Amino acid sequence: MSQAAAGIDRLFKALANHSELIAEAYLQGVVYQDIDNQRALNQLRQLKVLVKHNEDSYRVSGRLSQFIDHALSSDRVRRLDTDLASWIETLEQQISLYQDAWNENRQDDCDNYFAEIERLVFDLADTLEENTRYLLMLVNSRFANVRTVAEKQKQNAFYISRLEKLVNAISSLQPEFLLEIVEEQPIVYELLEQHLIRLLPKYQQRLQDILDKLKVFLFELRQIEMRAQLVQGFAFFLRQNPGYQTRDWSEADSIPEIWNQIRPLQLQAYADPLDHALEDELIEIAQKIKTDSEALLAKQKNRSINVVTLASQEKQQLDIPLYRKQLRIFLQYVRSNSNKTISALAFKQAFVANIEPDIWLACVLNECLRRSNQNLQMELRHREQENVFNGNQKITDILLRHRSTQP
Amino acid sequence: MFENIIKQLLQGEFICEISDESAFQFLQDAGQANTVDEFLSRLGYRLAKTQNELAFYAAYQHIDHSARTDIRKTFQQFRIELYPVVEWLDMMMACLNQDNSLSPGDTLSFSSLMQAIEQNQALADRLLSFAKFKDFASSDDSIKARLEKLLSMLNKWGYLKLANRDMLIYQVTGKLDYFYHALQFIQEHEQISIEQAEDDVIQESLL
Repeated sequence: MSQAAAGIDRLFKALANHSELIAEAYLQGVVYQDIDNQRALNQLRQLKVLVKHNEDSYRVSGRLSQFIDHALSSDRVRRLDTDLASWIETLEQQISLYQDAWNENRQDDCDNYFAEIERLVFDLADTLEENTRYLLMLVNSRFANVRTVAEKQKQNAFYISRLEKLVNAISSLQPEFLLEIVEEQPIVYELLEQHLIRLLPKYQQRLQDILDKLKVFLFELRQIEMRAQLVQGFAFFLRQNPGYQTRDWSEADSIPEIWNQIRPLQLQAYADPLDHALEDELIEIAQKIKTDSEALLAKQKNRSINVVTLASQEKQQLDIPLYRKQLRIFLQYVRSNSNKTISALAFKQAFVANIEPDIWLACVLNECLRRSNQNLQMELRHREQENVFNGNQKITDILLRHRSTQP
Repeated sequence: MFENIIKQLLQGEFICEISDESAFQFLQDAGQANTVDEFLSRLGYRLAKTQNELAFYAAYQHIDHSARTDIRKTFQQFRIELYPVVEWLDMMMACLNQDNSLSPGDTLSFSSLMQAIEQNQALADRLLSFAKFKDFASSDDSIKARLEKLLSMLNKWGYLKLANRDMLIYQVTGKLDYFYHALQFIQEHEQISIEQAEDDVIQESLL
């Protein structure tokens, strides 16, 4: 069974199962909720057979009520598709008839006319509720997906005409006037006030929402239309003028705001290999790098063969750099003063010229580290820490001491 | 989110509902947009919106000499894009048989476009004519290859986003809002006549 067929089946079964409740709601105008019928009423409400009348009561929905009227050829049959404004007129007529019967003390007629007024009020309230909600739903769904501007225009005209009908209906209601004429009939007054007049602000708000959306839509429609003209016009222009180049607006004295757009930046970050938190991830990435990398796969160039000549090559003697000469002298001096602590800086100030103190210390440090297996004891003098956590240690002097191996 | 948005903006991207929905929602919040703007201002940039507020992008706070040099380069790119994008928009109207041009959020199905072009020689010729633009040259002359080239180039330029990789469904991004505004600016300031097209599309007032 299809989904639609299943829906119909469920509806008809509900109508059959709860026919007594529906009949009571139709004939009495209202059915009250109790422990026994609570579940059934809720189901009928979900199926839109009944609608809430009060906190604890339900009535037959306007549509079903009209169907029953038609089916039973009731004198309450009215044409639904007429202008909503004419309903108000009928309502006023019925109120007038009710008042005449009331004044002439015709109780049976009073009851009939009241039932009629009740039905009209409910129908009107239902219609306003359904129409405003339906129209709002349609407007919110952006008028479906139509391809052409002409179709959009048609849609727009349709929604505007529906909106006009609803606005007319609500405007012709004149709530104060209606309540004024039934002032002496509290039962009718209460009915109108509770089921129609009190709901009007809600419908008016919905209509306002619809109108706001239609305004936006109309604006968008005009924009779409304008864009279509622009695109077609430009395309035509460019076909007619294939050599056209737009003026270089970036050279204008004052660059128009539309062209103020940044030049894309290329962002790149490197992983910090000293960051131990990343160690595992970096190892994982490194392991994935294929060993047959581009560098290895690159075609090796044929090396040119050097020409070998028998002529003896001229030998060149390279001079030892100045700092190495000075270092040698310094280390000899340290060795010759075994078991004495010698300051590299003091030595430099006394004997070494042409080398900056920082460079001298760096040379000494490097040389001592290189000769770590010799009998040299090195002590570093650090500058007082300015920034403990910057990772650097600044050395102000190096103290060397040669341990003599002789007793 | 903040970091992602800043990166996108600095890379010259337009952030719209289509390109990055959550980032766009984030920027629609005035408070969050302010924080992004404040951050950009430290770099001499600011957060800008397209005409209909359909996309966000980064602009210079003040146009000095260096900014002018950069803008010149961005503008040159717009010049490159102008011809093909106009031609593409015009062609899409014919392909989709609709008298309104594409808007941000519209979808384009590769297979539907392909079908429409295959059934219409004039459209096929128009597609082939894209080869005259530098970035659209292709060694394969088939309609499929040409259409792929066209859509992938527009995707690269940021006018389209591949919404469904399997079905090859593309979506028009908010950058098109910027393009339309730029086109309108050129038309107004360079007094380009678009009368020819006005005869084709007639629209009466609706209300």
